[in-house]
Amino acid sequence: MDKNNDSIFTRWITGILRNRKAITGVAIIFIFIFLAVLGPFITEDPTAFLGTPLSPPSWEHWLGTNGQGQDVLSQTISGARQTLLVGFTTGIMVVLIGALIGGISGYYGGRIDDFLSLLINVFLVMPGLPLMVILASWLPPGPATLTGVLVLTGWAWNARVIRSQMMTFRSRDFVSAAIVSGERNIRIIIVEIMPRMLSLLASSFIGASIYAIGAQVGLEFLGLGDVSTVTWGTNLYWASNDMALLTGSWWAFVPTGLSIAIVSFALTMINFGIDEVTNPRLIAERVWRENIPMDTVVNGITPVVRDHE
Amino acid sequence: MNQSLHYLLRRLGFYFIAAWAALTLNFFIPRLMPGDPAAIIFARFRGKLKPEAINALRETFGLTDEPLLGQYWSYLKSILQGDLGISIAYFPEPVTNIISSALLWTIFLAGLSLIISFSIGTLLGTIIAWNRSGRLDSTLPPVLAFIGAFPYFWLAMVALYIFGFELSWFPLGHAYGNNVTPGFNLSFILSALHHAALPALTMIIVSLGGWMLSMRNIMITTLGTDYISFAHAKGLSSRLIMIRYAARNAILPNFTGFGMALGFVLSGALLTEIIFSYPGQGYLLLQAVRAQDFPLMQGLFMTITFAVLAANWLVDIAILFFDPRTRK
Amino acid sequence: MNSSVLSIQNLCVNYITPGDPVKAVNDVSFEIQQGEIFGLVGESGSGKSTVVQAILRILPPPAVIAGGKVIIKNKDILSTSNTEVMQYRWKQISIVMQSALNALNPVLTVREQIEDVLKEHSDLKSKATEDRTKELLSLIDIDVSWLDSYPHQLSGGMKQRVVIAIALALMPPVIILDEPTTALDVIVEREILAKIIELRKELGFTILFITHDLNLLLEFADRVAIMKNGRLVELDKAQKIRSGGKHDYTQKLIRSLPSASGPREKGLLPRPENLDLGEQPILEVQNLSKSFHDSGIFNPRSIDVVKNVSFQVFPGEIIGLVGESGSGKSTIAKLITRLIRPTAGDIFLKGSNKKVSEARRVPLEYRKQVQMVFQDPFGSLNSVHTVYHHLARPLLRHQLISEQDLLDHIIEMLETVGLRPGTTFAEKFPHEMSGGERQRVAIARALSLGPDLIIADEPTSMLDVSIRMEILEIFARMRIEKNLTIIFITHDLASARYLADRILVLQHGSIVEQGKAEDLIRSPKEQYTKQLIKAASPGWLRSLSFNNNTKDKDVGHV
Repeated sequence: MDKNNDSIFTRWITGILRNRKAITGVAIIFIFIFLAVLGPFITEDPTAFLGTPLSPPSWEHWLGTNGQGQDVLSQTISGARQTLLVGFTTGIMVVLIGALIGGISGYYGGRIDDFLSLLINVFLVMPGLPLMVILASWLPPGPATLTGVLVLTGWAWNARVIRSQMMTFRSRDFVSAAIVSGERNIRIIIVEIMPRMLSLLASSFIGASIYAIGAQVGLEFLGLGDVSTVTWGTNLYWASNDMALLTGSWWAFVPTGLSIAIVSFALTMINFGIDEVTNPRLIAERVWRENIPMDTVVNGITPVVRDHE
Repeated sequence: MNQSLHYLLRRLGFYFIAAWAALTLNFFIPRLMPGDPAAIIFARFRGKLKPEAINALRETFGLTDEPLLGQYWSYLKSILQGDLGISIAYFPEPVTNIISSALLWTIFLAGLSLIISFSIGTLLGTIIAWNRSGRLDSTLPPVLAFIGAFPYFWLAMVALYIFGFELSWFPLGHAYGNNVTPGFNLSFILSALHHAALPALTMIIVSLGGWMLSMRNIMITTLGTDYISFAHAKGLSSRLIMIRYAARNAILPNFTGFGMALGFVLSGALLTEIIFSYPGQGYLLLQAVRAQDFPLMQGLFMTITFAVLAANWLVDIAILFFDPRTRK
Repeated sequence: MNSSVLSIQNLCVNYITPGDPVKAVNDVSFEIQQGEIFGLVGESGSGKSTVVQAILRILPPPAVIAGGKVIIKNKDILSTSNTEVMQYRWKQISIVMQSALNALNPVLTVREQIEDVLKEHSDLKSKATEDRTKELLSLIDIDVSWLDSYPHQLSGGMKQRVVIAIALALMPPVIILDEPTTALDVIVEREILAKIIELRKELGFTILFITHDLNLLLEFADRVAIMKNGRLVELDKAQKIRSGGKHDYTQKLIRSLPSASGPREKGLLPRPENLDLGEQPILEVQNLSKSFHDSGIFNPRSIDVVKNVSFQVFPGEIIGLVGESGSGKSTIAKLITRLIRPTAGDIFLKGSNKKVSEARRVPLEYRKQVQMVFQDPFGSLNSVHTVYHHLARPLLRHQLISEQDLLDHIIEMLETVGLRPGTTFAEKFPHEMSGGERQRVAIARALSLGPDLIIADEPTSMLDVSIRMEILEIFARMRIEKNLTIIFITHDLASARYLADRILVLQHGSIVEQGKAEDLIRSPKEQYTKQLIKAASPGWLRSLSFNNNTKDKDVGHV
């Protein structure tokens, strides 16, 4: 019994705001989004052919130029825009579809579940890249195609996880109690169960976004994006096409790659943070570790710390 | 053992359904796109093929004048007979030939990397979960998570640049050197390993974090169970408990995770191949995209999908073997 | 003093939390003499399990031993090195843990788990090890053919015996039994306990027995210690405790345990003066059956949970549906409340022409008339919503109260079930309330729609013993005040005796006997009923006649 009258949500939010990993991650993401939004106003035109191709970093071009003579710094900053936009949009759509299909499948069970589960499993087991390649080849290149293709190949994972959680909650007494009082199913799903699944939905969104950014870059690298636009993926495509590697022009592909990694890593950190705050076992572990001198800890033997207060 | 067989057959049935779904998707995608698929494909073949050959190709894709269902049957018949059409980029080679030679290289490289990565990752995950207070647990997961955040192929680029270009420790591409003849001779095998080393290393390092983390998390859950407390109470040695009681149990759900991640890991492997000009499925995929070689693309989609399904079934067999709860 | 084989002095154990540490064990001291049976009793959260796990130092994080001594053979285990801790584990003290059903490693055979211990601690060669393993199994009446089985192939009772065999492996001087039989059927429980006591007579070890069931302990313990909130409140010989003990809490515990046999205590729960039931049953169940298809991938099969059950319930009465775990009683509850559909049979509510079990959609009217109170007070309320939400939703759904009157009505309901002041409780979240308070909210929720029939599925089994009677009293009172009919489901024959007018005894999905409560208790007709009553009465140990043919009883079905 616990005298705290805050709702669970309040506690989560305050916990997350205090969690180092989550804060760091959020800060990094905000920096990138900020740069992406302000991009056109603070950099030169990334598509302008300004300097000698593949020249190393200098005072004029802080990150050098790429194979077309374009400023790498501008390219990196403007590339963030579409990549992040497609990434997060895909993330949201994947979670919505996952919640819909996974939720219905997990809640209603029976034949509906048999059918939807089969659907989920089939999409889950099929390798994504080849399917994405075919779809993207047939469709006109651009962010809409990318988003569509990513969602189609990526929705199944989250749907499965959400279904699993929904099934757990479905069997709990508070759901039975709601049914016995006459509540409608839709209301139970939305008002009673979904609030309990918020942390899962949040980390699903983040996980899906990470996947979307990575897969998007992969597709564009293959040449399936709109190569006339500036995105992180097309940057790498051109770097490879213009033989940046074999001429030793590392500045043409390193900044973009680093940016992708930093963003993905930041998102992962946010996920770790959410998990640490909402998972009771991890909370217990962390608190314990912070308070016990580590040299007394041996796996399997309870430590004795006298005068512990 | 009857029940185990029953289970395996059910799983096989599922994989057949998935394979059928892939085939059907393959059939419908061109037809759902704007424009006439036949025209798009055959525009490329103009001037290269005799009319009879073009008709044969039509049969393969089912792009005949029959009603839709008829087209579907022709298409299925061709596929099941092993006829995947003729490649545009490698004209006039049949798709099946091109793919089969590349398939072996992909299985070699990706398979090797996967097994090594999974084994080391699982081992690391076990040790880290056991020594929760150790320095390893605070440094390794974040470091490997950071490395895993890089796109596979980008790390491949960096690795190729540093170790291939700058340091010249490893060759810059391909599966074996020019001066070696393929066959079961030592110099060929050594050359193949030398060429596979850098791409394999890249893939192993990137995916290591994922396997390690998942094993670590499952181990942590396992370590909280009653039977582990009981094992400690029994006074058994640490090593015995870690391996025989904890890891033995934790590895089972990990295998399941392995099966599910196969498709994803394979995609990364394909992109890595491209960087290293490794003559596997990934390299073919790039050529196919560049040349808009739809027969090849669709052939690749089919073979890769079937390969992943087969691998999943093998994992199912492995799980059956390791988990005594499956036996009555 | 010198014949004490285990001595606990000023033991303190804390659990580290984000806030202040929780003192799970606070300055506990006691000594156990050679050869005695020492009982440690307390409700959940009293710290009794923490004490014994601290003795072996197997408490998982976030536990920390903050002070005290545990002396065995003149050595303080809390001050020795880690290697020495390993030395005395299992050789000096072994433990049969709480929920021992999960104590066995799922991927190792019975043989491997017994031999593990022998190989680690003794120098026996492999033949000798195997002989010893077989010897241990026969000690606790398990056939050696089960040696190479896996835990999932054994029944609950058998798993328990295997764990006991492991505990006996090195013949330690002290064996700790931490709630060793809680999850088992009453009858199996008694058999195993009798076996343990018999073995103790033969082999001479000392027993430290932990349980929440004081009645059970008073049957066979020599001395009993009672814990509450981490402290030891009473320690004395068993007879002295049975006659009341010194501490208030002890007396409260003794008093809250009605007996299933012997004369009926008067005035324990309110009853109506005249029970005029009328002719028409309010609920009639005919030939009700439910089978589940175990979708286990490996051996799909059908389990008949409810077999051809028929009974009637008359308006205004309280029926006690008594059965052990696996008897199908919860399934019957779910069938009557239409959470699941029957495989066969009919349910009639308020009249023989209103068959309710067939229609797919459950009419709203039915939901108003039939309500349920669940077993687990922690699971039946949604942690993200306040008490107000839980009580308001049903009322709004059935459009019984207007929005303005809602709050007042809810406050009134809360005060009816004893939660005062209603205004404060309405704002609370579930985590702010104790188990008893939550259960009261659940009862208020069930009552809010003004139902005719309430099914209470083991409403007190997860609550502390000391407040059980209070909850039962609410039911008894509500029956009179609100004209309710109640089906009270329980495994505890004693509380059924005091709350119910009629009792139905359920075994393996069928009703074996039914009748008026007092008649059934005083003169049971069926063998199973007799066994149940005996198991819930004092003196069961002496009366239980066991013989060495108990080997055949464990059929070993999963």
